[in-house]
Amino acid sequence: MQLLEQEKPIATVAPLLVARGVTKTFDRTRALAGADFELRSGEVHGLLGANGAGKSTLSKVIAGHYPLDAGELTYRGHEIRLRNTRDALRNGIAIVMQETSLVPDLSVLENIFLPELGRKGWLDYPAMRRRGREILASLGQDGGLPFDMEVRRLSSAQKQLVEIAKALGVDASLLIFDEPTASLSPGEVERLFDVMARLRASGRGLVFVSHRLEEVFAITDRVTVMREGRTVMNARPTASLTQAELIRAMVGAELGAIYTREHEAASSAAPVALEVRGLASPPVVRDCSFSVRRGEILGLGGLVGAGRSEALEAIFGLRARPAGDVLVGGRPLPAESPKKAIRAGIGFVAEDRRTQNIVPDLSVRENLLLAHLGAHRGFFCNYKQREAKAQALMASLGLPAERLLDASMLNFSGGMQQKIIIARWLMLDPSVLILDEPTKGVDIGTRASIYAMLREIAARGVAIVVVSSDFEELLGLCDRIVVISDGRTIADLPSGMLDEEKLTLLAAPRTSMARNTELLRVLAGEQDGAGFWALIEEDKLICLNAVVSNPRVDPGFVAGEAKSFDQTRIPIALRQREATFVAEPQDGRATLVVPMTSPRGHDLGWVGLSVPPGRALPPAETIRARIEAMAATL
Amino acid sequence: MSMETAILATPPKASWLKSLARRLEVRMLALALVIALGLSLLSPYFLTHSNIFNMLDQSVVIGIVAVGMTFVILTGGIDLSVGSVAGLTGIILGLSLQSMPIAPAILVAVLAGAGIGLVSGLLINIFGLAAFVVTLGVMAIGRSLAYILSGQSAISNIPEGMQAVVYTNILGVPSNVLFLLALYALAWGYLTFTKGGRTIYAVGSNKEAARAAGLDTLFYSVLPYVLSGALSAVAITFSVAQIMSADPLMGNQMELDAIAAVVIGGASLYGGRGSMIGTLIGVFIMVMIRNGLNLMGVSPFWQGSAIGTIIIVALLVERLLSARISR
Repeated sequence: MQLLEQEKPIATVAPLLVARGVTKTFDRTRALAGADFELRSGEVHGLLGANGAGKSTLSKVIAGHYPLDAGELTYRGHEIRLRNTRDALRNGIAIVMQETSLVPDLSVLENIFLPELGRKGWLDYPAMRRRGREILASLGQDGGLPFDMEVRRLSSAQKQLVEIAKALGVDASLLIFDEPTASLSPGEVERLFDVMARLRASGRGLVFVSHRLEEVFAITDRVTVMREGRTVMNARPTASLTQAELIRAMVGAELGAIYTREHEAASSAAPVALEVRGLASPPVVRDCSFSVRRGEILGLGGLVGAGRSEALEAIFGLRARPAGDVLVGGRPLPAESPKKAIRAGIGFVAEDRRTQNIVPDLSVRENLLLAHLGAHRGFFCNYKQREAKAQALMASLGLPAERLLDASMLNFSGGMQQKIIIARWLMLDPSVLILDEPTKGVDIGTRASIYAMLREIAARGVAIVVVSSDFEELLGLCDRIVVISDGRTIADLPSGMLDEEKLTLLAAPRTSMARNTELLRVLAGEQDGAGFWALIEEDKLICLNAVVSNPRVDPGFVAGEAKSFDQTRIPIALRQREATFVAEPQDGRATLVVPMTSPRGHDLGWVGLSVPPGRALPPAETIRARIEAMAATL
Repeated sequence: MSMETAILATPPKASWLKSLARRLEVRMLALALVIALGLSLLSPYFLTHSNIFNMLDQSVVIGIVAVGMTFVILTGGIDLSVGSVAGLTGIILGLSLQSMPIAPAILVAVLAGAGIGLVSGLLINIFGLAAFVVTLGVMAIGRSLAYILSGQSAISNIPEGMQAVVYTNILGVPSNVLFLLALYALAWGYLTFTKGGRTIYAVGSNKEAARAAGLDTLFYSVLPYVLSGALSAVAITFSVAQIMSADPLMGNQMELDAIAAVVIGGASLYGGRGSMIGTLIGVFIMVMIRNGLNLMGVSPFWQGSAIGTIIIVALLVERLLSARISR
């Protein structure tokens, strides 16, 4: 990570690639209308823009996927004409794609050296293996890939690493990363950034196409913003920019606060619409419990792969659930099929629009009415009867009603497609609406209108459950957040008590939690006491972890619980939080509470240790040093 | 947002001719007319009243099978077993006719066809076997059983009454042609106006989305195979009635003609795209070509080459044309 923070001297370097006045038209749409771009060696250059702004098209023009209509590309000082990706690769330009361009049935090694298959002669496997190891080592990922495994069995992060290695296999000096973090968990993103930093340090030029502003600020040196096929902000140093400036450039206007937070927390008197108890669906969903009231927006937070999507699918009947109960409006819902769930009043917007939601050969109207086909009895479709409602819905989405007759959903932007899919469920008047990553692949401007739409739906008394990997989105949108880690619900807190840092901590996978637990166990054991790890805000605490060796000094809270100090058994110590043991007047136990800080200076909360009354107190300094030593390795 | 409005702007209104030409069925109908015109120039007999009825008559068997095939292909499947199921159910019909009246005998044959289709459909959709392989297996079994049940010879003592199935004229149109047209109208109505029909399209276009929308994907994935098997038996009933004999070789290679007709009619082998009108035109094109080649006295050995070439060229021209029109 040191590499990341290192200042890069980026001035006075001749540009690696310059694109000037690039235009590109597909059928009737003009994707690029005079785009400019300049990339230097040894920099990470952020390419930003709302969906449809042309950043992916420009990337693909540079990578040789599409020939350009007009304009010029200058690479290492010479004008180049790329007829196909082969031309680009020969020049050392490679793209790491959103949808990976790997062959799933070939091994990792064969995929890395796929271009070799196109050359004459025999494949030299030992040499490929050697070279593959060198490449991984240069990325700081020694042994990070099982060379002989089929690519289909890898995680998305590993597949991406294969793509990067593949680019290095042909000695690429210009790498384009198109939305590389879209399907990665925060930990995997860190690892990717580490790899990118190494590539930058080796003098390669990197283009980073992304929607996520935090990431752009974390990794890029300069930023170019596109809007409607044109470059509207050309190669500005990232350090000189603010998020607001970037958003303004992308959207072309001042955006209101994207999240209008008015959490008038749904009155807890509203009836529970959906209750989930002890849900399990192997292998990923182990033990999930939560409930949502009518009119409430509940967020399911956690890392990619923690089992959030799988839990939703199990609730909806798309996945077997051997254990646990799901109650809709108080009545048990059997796990059999989506049909049962829909009849019980659940709507489900699955994560992947293209493969799970859209029926490409049916018209927009039929897509809107798709859930109708299964929801009611009767032989004929009776589209006519629903026409008025469909028109009203389209109008409320801001779509002209005649677009209902459009032959294909695919002509719409991602945001519009998503709204139509949400409307598909609204047609059925559900009592619970479940959405998995509702703004995936949707640009910032349209996101705000999807949030507004969801809030309006909730206001009408629908219970909404949202899964999102974007913690900022969860915090802004939801009234309450349930955190899932390793297939278990581990916390259930009002979003007002949380921020991104805390959410990240709660969602942290067990591996980092393991070290913490280990230390707490050792300390509690040695002192015959109890240890805990908690987040503290004013006079409230959120317990992340608690280990009790001696029941007499149980602190009065367990992992995942949020309590005010006075509800615990150690209110005095929690209030003072000084670097000494503080005795509680009630029972005489002594408690030390010390802060924990990550190597990068993030506040990781507080670690506490209680010792039973009458026991000799250990030196507070030693305990503190041990906690700090543990934190330094997180 | 201005980008949004740019995407939403309705495309310029095309002339009615062009919007008509965008429809595949219309283009295929034009192709059928061109072929008819060409053949009528090559052979003066082609457009005579008797030859037209002759061609309609020849369309019946393949046309009925193509209905079931369209349903199967719409769901993204394929049924290679139709020919041999027709052969087997023809023999079952012939044998049944020896011991029972006509109507129940036909019912037995149709139920047998439906049963075979049900088995294929369940194997494909419950165990996830490839439709190509399952129906290939059923094809081999069906033909073999047809030979065994028939004792390797034709059953020729078919009761006279069977002829009425084909040769009853209503308003001057033979009953088999009327049945064909009624069947197409019914199938078209089902696919266009009913929940089941639209579900079949949805299943073929994106099965996962259909399932997530609460549609009964299993039922509507199996139904087409049942229908295909039953209609193979119906088709062969007309054949048996016409030639008054049931032969274990009947329906040989019928699957190829049926698949060709459906594909010429614009269906996608990946599912979700196709129509009954297109298939009917496809059937007519196939029958016209065969008929025309016979009229011109082309050797039966060359006919296969000619038909194959015409199919491939027709699809190639269509592909090139459609790319240009939709631009």
